[in-house]
Amino acid sequence: MSTRPLISVVDDDESVRESLPDLLKEFGFDTQAFASAADFLSSDWVGRTNCLILDVAMPGMTGPDLQRELTLRRQEIPIVFITAHRDDHVRPRLLEQGAVECLFKPFTETDLLAALNTALRVS
Amino acid sequence: MQDVRDNTADLLERLKRAEEALHLSRIGSFSWRVATDEITWSEQLYRIFEFDPQLTVTIELIGSRVHPEDIPSLNDIIDRARNAVGDFQFEHRLLMPDQSVKYLHLTAHGTRNEDSELEYIGAVQDVTRRQSSEEALGKARSELAHVARVMSLGALTASIAHEVNQPLSGIITNASTCMRMLEADPPNIDGARETVRRTIRDGHRAADVITRLRALFSRKEAVTEQLDLNEATREVIALSLSELQANRIILRAELANDLPHVTGDRVQLQQVILNLLRNASDAMSSVDNRPRQLLIRTKSDGNGAVRLSVHDTGVGLEAESIPKLFDAFYTTKSNGMGIGLSVSRSIIEKHQGSLWATPNDGPGATFSFSIPHVTDASANAGANHERAARQAL
Repeated sequence: MSTRPLISVVDDDESVRESLPDLLKEFGFDTQAFASAADFLSSDWVGRTNCLILDVAMPGMTGPDLQRELTLRRQEIPIVFITAHRDDHVRPRLLEQGAVECLFKPFTETDLLAALNTALRVS
Repeated sequence: MQDVRDNTADLLERLKRAEEALHLSRIGSFSWRVATDEITWSEQLYRIFEFDPQLTVTIELIGSRVHPEDIPSLNDIIDRARNAVGDFQFEHRLLMPDQSVKYLHLTAHGTRNEDSELEYIGAVQDVTRRQSSEEALGKARSELAHVARVMSLGALTASIAHEVNQPLSGIITNASTCMRMLEADPPNIDGARETVRRTIRDGHRAADVITRLRALFSRKEAVTEQLDLNEATREVIALSLSELQANRIILRAELANDLPHVTGDRVQLQQVILNLLRNASDAMSSVDNRPRQLLIRTKSDGNGAVRLSVHDTGVGLEAESIPKLFDAFYTTKSNGMGIGLSVSRSIIEKHQGSLWATPNDGPGATFSFSIPHVTDASANAGANHERAARQAL
């Protein structure tokens, strides 16, 4: 049983699902990647996830939809949103709803690491 | 007596000239007595269909020339015409014996004759040449439409940012990982090589986005003019016809006569209409147990505005999803960015109008927009009005 924190990535963009887990492993985390919110919810990893890196805009259930669903299920997983749409109105709204951070793609590894450290302190 | 002869000669002369004018504009005329199916054609219409003028015109004869893919919509329109008096318009193709295709635009007006029998008189225009140039235009546009289904400056920026930021994100993440793999002791060369491969791929992906976007930047700025929404709609229909037919969609257009003009950007409004048509088409793509019918309708709404609505028999709307429909990034499609409707709404709002969605009583949904039409006063205001509208856009 690994004691490394598990970071789950939910993003419909394949290149994110390929690249981000490798970087997270380099940071020293365990990681799982999912192509949709539904895939994540139906997986066995929900209860084991220490932090969720979540894309905002996805077909079907969006990132904020998943955030609400997790709140309803009382799954208190710290969320770091990532989005390729730099919309300054979106960020405060997401933070207000309890997200730890909202990073605009492309983000630096320094910003990502800082957000993950905050998230893991919260959990 | 002399007067009558003069008048008759004058009338004949005028008829002859009218016939010549119709001939020049490639317009044929017809009448159709519904009860008996008696059909009369002008010479020009025989020429358009390339039938011997001695032939008696029947619906079967017409059907033998109509493009097989357009037969269902022809039957549909005939059924409707039989059951109700009204005006109808119909765009369809002919498949000629030499396999060439002609594009026709048909307009008909229904009346009751003195015996209160239903009769239609109408005109048929051969728009093949216009269609060909529109097809060329359509091909050019579809490339752009692929990047962003509809374009306005704000949406364009959002679309560019999104399309470019995705691969950039991959590039930066992969490069960061690569750096860490190389700095490890011992360095992870195989891992680094894989991240570099992905970096190159994402770099190409970003370059591809730029190539596609270059076409967008060459586009002209918004142009404001007084325009006929019916005409703009017909052009969009002509552009979409083959796509709709490929999706086995029966399109019906009910465009109000004497629709007042509106002021706006023709291309932007056409992109809204195109977006609504495509959404309707997409909404019906999974429907197999009922006809895929799309009704596009224009009318004057009596409050100084004209309204265009697109009615489909698709999967419909869930009540809870309606408020979210117009949010940017809300999408029910796996290949959509979810900006189409939000952009459409912003375009319509810039035209001082509104765009909304309603579930149908039966299956499907209706999306409508209304925009103010040009009043006599504003038409007279001319330059000022146009300047104001340009600023608004």
